[in-house]
Amino acid sequence: MANTETCLKEALASIEGATGVALVDYTSGMALGTMGGSKTFDLNVAAAGNTDVVRAKMRTMEHLGLKAEIEDILITLSDQYHLIRLISGRGGNGLFLYLVLDAKRSNLAMARHQLRRIEQDLEV
Amino acid sequence: MTVVDTPPPLPVRDKATAVERAWGGVSPMLTRLAAERATGVLVREGGALHLEEGLVTYAESPLSLGLDALLTAHGTVRAEVWSEALSRADEHRGAARFLLAGGHLTEGALQVCHLGALYDAAYFALAPSSTPGRFRYGVAHRLGPVLPVPVAALERETLRRRDLLHRVWPDPRPDHTPLVRTHTAAAPRPTARQQRLLDRLDGTRTAADLARELGRQAFHTLVDVRRLAAAGLLAPRPEPVPAPGPATSAAAPAAPHPSSAPHPASAPDAEPRRPPAAGAPPPALADPPPPGLTERLAQHTTDPHITLLKRLRDALEAL
Repeated sequence: MANTETCLKEALASIEGATGVALVDYTSGMALGTMGGSKTFDLNVAAAGNTDVVRAKMRTMEHLGLKAEIEDILITLSDQYHLIRLISGRGGNGLFLYLVLDAKRSNLAMARHQLRRIEQDLEV
Repeated sequence: MTVVDTPPPLPVRDKATAVERAWGGVSPMLTRLAAERATGVLVREGGALHLEEGLVTYAESPLSLGLDALLTAHGTVRAEVWSEALSRADEHRGAARFLLAGGHLTEGALQVCHLGALYDAAYFALAPSSTPGRFRYGVAHRLGPVLPVPVAALERETLRRRDLLHRVWPDPRPDHTPLVRTHTAAAPRPTARQQRLLDRLDGTRTAADLARELGRQAFHTLVDVRRLAAAGLLAPRPEPVPAPGPATSAAAPAAPHPSSAPHPASAPDAEPRRPPAAGAPPPALADPPPPGLTERLAQHTTDPHITLLKRLRDALEAL
């Protein structure tokens, strides 16, 4: 029953090593809510750019005829992890959660598990 | 790799002034209302924005679906529930509260849908218009506050959306004109979502009609329409009658506008782009004309060969 702000707050506070999180609409590329980030890391820009990642993957899956749903997409940088979790809601609106993790401080498996729980809380 | 740019963006009043101001200056009146923390409704040509204490609480536009339509279209909320909540709403407690209290909707879902609908309608409400907006003080929307949005954020997002559409396919005609299905060899396969949209094309429906029928956000439909236009799968219906829909909103800002004449942002990159484009631009455009003319030509070329060349250039660019 959480609202978007508390969800994002919870993600940032409870996931070890999280430095930023955004809830993004992937058709328009708009961040419906962001939390964390920094002057040098604009979450709105990251949100818009990562919609292309999600779209490309969805299109490829469709061309391959894969019927499964994407749960999440992981991008590893030398010092960061970017985790994209697609939200499968009743509205089918096409949203995803975008999480930025500090690679040194985070536990990927744990982060993935927690992000899934937060997604369920959001109940979109 | 060839260095090819998309044609210069529509000369709407942004960019040049946007950098100087804190935000885009989509509507100076809205900026002023935000500064004085006004409450009321701003009615513009493309739609209306409801303000409360200078924050935008609701937006509506005849071109987009309202929150009610989006919620009821997919069965998230039943239409009776919505109308009952609206009828019970009063000055102090908006309809949103009844929806949440009745357990019809979770708060997260309502916020997300509300934001989606608000930004969607605001995109059309803030479209360049030829008539001044009017503001009525003191009328709050019956939905009540869900998640008020600062004017600056709304303007920034609206400008970003314009850029997004322009990058996808620089011709704004498919946004307003009835659409027809076209067929090209080796067109990319549309997604299931896009296919449902293509199935409904019949030469009379516009993007707004399609959005309404499919229960989708209107801007999202425009994104799909422009992508399909770029892929050569649909096109605006050729018009025998001289009554182009887009003329009201698209041509208005394109007409010589005092602030768009110099256009420093697009003029420099319009010139050097020509030689490496190697045959992509039609010969008529090869000589560097004044930038205003280039822009107008780029928007109003209907020659099928030019359209084909443009599509070819965009496809090469996408490689």
